[in-house]
Amino acid sequence: MSPLRERAAVSYVLAAPGGLWMLVALVAPTLFIAWVSFWASRTFALSNALTLANYVKFFTRPAYVRVLGDTVEQAIVMMLITGVIGYAIAYFLVVHVRRPAFQLALFLLLVVPFWTSALIRTIAWIPFLGVNGVINQALLLLGIVDRPVEAFLFTRTGITLAQTSFYTLLATGPVVYTLRNIPRSLPEAAQCLHATPLRVFWRIVFPLTLPGVVIGQILVFLNVMADFATAQAIGGHKLAFLGNLVILLYESGQLTFAAVVGVLLMIAMLLGVAVLLKVVDIRRLGAP
Amino acid sequence: MIPWRVRQRLVAATLGTVVGLFLLYQWLPLLIMAVLSFTGPEGGTTFPMRGVSLHWYGELFRVQMIDDFKPPMARSVALALACSITTATLSVAAAQAMRARFRGSGVYFYLILLGVMAPGLLVGFGVALLARMFGLGLAWYSSTFAVHIVWTLPFGFLTMLAVFNRFDRRLEEAALTLRATRWTTFWRITFPLVLPGVIGAGLFGFTLSYDEFARSLFATGPEQTLPLVIYAQFDRQLQPTLYAIGTMTTIVSLGAVTVFALLFRLVKRRNRI
Amino acid sequence: MADRPDLELIGVTKRFGAFTAVRDVSLAVEHGQFVCLLGPSGCGKTTTLRMIAGLEEVDAGEIRIAGVRVNERPPWQRDIAMMFQDFALFPHMTVARQVAFGLEMLRRPAAEIRRRVAETLGAFDIAAFADRKPDTLSGGQKQRVALARALITEPRILLLDEPIGSLDFSLREAVMLELRDVQRRLGISFVWVTHDQNEAFSLGDRVVVMTHARIEQVGTPEDIAERPRTRFVATFVQGTNVFDGTVERAEGDHVRVRTATGSFVVPARDGRPPDPGEAVSFSVRAALVTAQPGAEHVNQVGAVCHAVEYLGAIRRYDFRLVDGRSLKLEEFTGRGRRIAEGEAITLGWRVEDGVLHAPAEAPA
Repeated sequence: MSPLRERAAVSYVLAAPGGLWMLVALVAPTLFIAWVSFWASRTFALSNALTLANYVKFFTRPAYVRVLGDTVEQAIVMMLITGVIGYAIAYFLVVHVRRPAFQLALFLLLVVPFWTSALIRTIAWIPFLGVNGVINQALLLLGIVDRPVEAFLFTRTGITLAQTSFYTLLATGPVVYTLRNIPRSLPEAAQCLHATPLRVFWRIVFPLTLPGVVIGQILVFLNVMADFATAQAIGGHKLAFLGNLVILLYESGQLTFAAVVGVLLMIAMLLGVAVLLKVVDIRRLGAP
Repeated sequence: MIPWRVRQRLVAATLGTVVGLFLLYQWLPLLIMAVLSFTGPEGGTTFPMRGVSLHWYGELFRVQMIDDFKPPMARSVALALACSITTATLSVAAAQAMRARFRGSGVYFYLILLGVMAPGLLVGFGVALLARMFGLGLAWYSSTFAVHIVWTLPFGFLTMLAVFNRFDRRLEEAALTLRATRWTTFWRITFPLVLPGVIGAGLFGFTLSYDEFARSLFATGPEQTLPLVIYAQFDRQLQPTLYAIGTMTTIVSLGAVTVFALLFRLVKRRNRI
Repeated sequence: MADRPDLELIGVTKRFGAFTAVRDVSLAVEHGQFVCLLGPSGCGKTTTLRMIAGLEEVDAGEIRIAGVRVNERPPWQRDIAMMFQDFALFPHMTVARQVAFGLEMLRRPAAEIRRRVAETLGAFDIAAFADRKPDTLSGGQKQRVALARALITEPRILLLDEPIGSLDFSLREAVMLELRDVQRRLGISFVWVTHDQNEAFSLGDRVVVMTHARIEQVGTPEDIAERPRTRFVATFVQGTNVFDGTVERAEGDHVRVRTATGSFVVPARDGRPPDPGEAVSFSVRAALVTAQPGAEHVNQVGAVCHAVEYLGAIRRYDFRLVDGRSLKLEEFTGRGRRIAEGEAITLGWRVEDGVLHAPAEAPA
């Protein structure tokens, strides 16, 4: 018994630094935001009375509610786009690329831009989207349009174009993992049982990759919900998501109200993740 | 050619085209940024380029610009190195602890993972609120460091968990039967074998911290990190200097990835012998 | 068309890049036959099976099922079923869904599917876990589910790739017999791939021995064991002694072969008699070698007993000849005394017990 207990004690000591760090720098600040969001007074004191008024204020202002709606809508649009493109990329990588060297090359080509700084990639999109941007110049050159399209920079379309480039691989990664884990004999067995390729895909391959799809969708959802830099750089000040609203309120000194928006953002994220996990019980499907 | 095989090739070709277009989509902005950073002194932030020059790189090294960018750059590198070492250390400890499946290890797992899920902006926001409450100052080496670890630790932790999962426990047991103490066993057997994973955790710590700005935004005091300085440029008139910075930092972080990858291979090869 | 063989391979070849996995293989499987493809790993037996299923394209030659060329047909349009070594059960489907899958893919009416699934679950004794998923089943149960799933569509041919290779050793015997019973009862053709000669010999109506992408010999188990056509087949079959040597002279229907341990007489093969000086090999079954040679045992050789294995009904001796080579001898335990290790003795066998091998084909 004693060596076991000794090991358990050592485990606690080893686990403590990381755990404490998370409690102090993550859990405590998050809970504090929630507390602040109920403060009745704008002065900063622990003795503040608590109220729901801040939340009432949020939901009675259509402009704010629209920001919430826009954020969720953007997240859903991005999930659809990255889900389809991300799956196509994963399927091609795992199923159609047989040569290991080619597989590695493709992997690196995909991952290297993904690894470069998000800010830099955001900046890189600006010369693309503007009225004099690369897309417009290309469209003019090809004679597709005769006047520059203003629909890219400072629009949702522009944000969506940029976010597609930023987040698609988040949807690809987990699908690659689950696809790789499907033994080749499963689709083959289905074929030998008279299933056409399309039915092999929908009846066998897709259900088995569903946990990967859901994990990818969760990653995309969380990132789009929390994204503010893309909207700031590409949307200008015309468009805002919840993150931008937090910054705006913080900078204008409305801390309690910024906290309200923060709490709503977190609740929206939690709800979203809960819904996605409902779609498929990851733990059950993940079992071999 | 057999019709159904043709159809199969067609599907592959279609998917291949999607992947090709996506790659173009990923690389083109970066490449165009790099190209535009070499525009002439009169050049703007879009095509057409006005000549080819190193003007905007020269701009970066002008005294005033150096004053603007050098200190944040130095802070970012120092912070990234600190995060790299801390992440590696804490994740080895945390993952090693998880191997014993102590009471509460399930909750502990999710506690660490929470760092990835929590929106970065709000973590920084919360830390800023707390600091204000207790009258503490914010600084890149204290509060920013704290929130960066929240972000980098889960990646290192998951890396180490995966490594320990594949680790053959019998190697340690063999060492113990040869009268090694647990301490010696860890440092002489376990650690050298999991070293590639530790380097991976360190790599996560470095690159994630070096690029991080969402968490830094509220949590950093007046002395800003490089991503924050760049982020501040979003609101100003765009200048090709920004492209020059972008191109240079991209090369720096690619360099860091390469160095770590080489280190990783070196250690792996040494272990195999 | 009833008299057409269920399956014909005519000069079938498969290449993977520069590597030829199957070279010019021809074979016919009559209706209701149990055929075993036997060979070491990498000999091309699994690739052959996969070509029959349509999972690999044929590079040259033709595959016919019931007389009809199927080279161009995808797997889902061939009248076959396949059992995989790992059973390839769909992890996300219950046993019942699993078994229904083939009929659903054939778009049979729902009522028919329900009825036949119920029948099949009963017939294979898996009705008790119809609602369970594969990860909760034992190896033997998985095997029965895989078999039920494959056979419910009543295929003309069942292809089996090492179907009991992943089962516990203790289960294999029983499963083998069960599969053999199923095959006899349903009367469909089985093509069974294995590297285990015991499986092949105890199950196959016919055994096809393959090595290096080619067929070495096709025959009944008795043919293969008692009359190995080539040196490879002789070495692959357990309990066979192989001698290499050169032809001294051909004497009518006999050939005298000089080896490092003596000169022996073996029956000549049909066709061209070998020339003197030609390199040849021959084999003798361990069970046909005797330790009490009489006058009829023309071939005799001195040997020292190296090791004795007691295997219940038989004893297996490992003798060493003067040049250090091993010679195996098997005899019933009831007969004769046990020779001690280290004992020197003379062994012998009759002329007609030797089998001269066909000359090795030059690898193309």
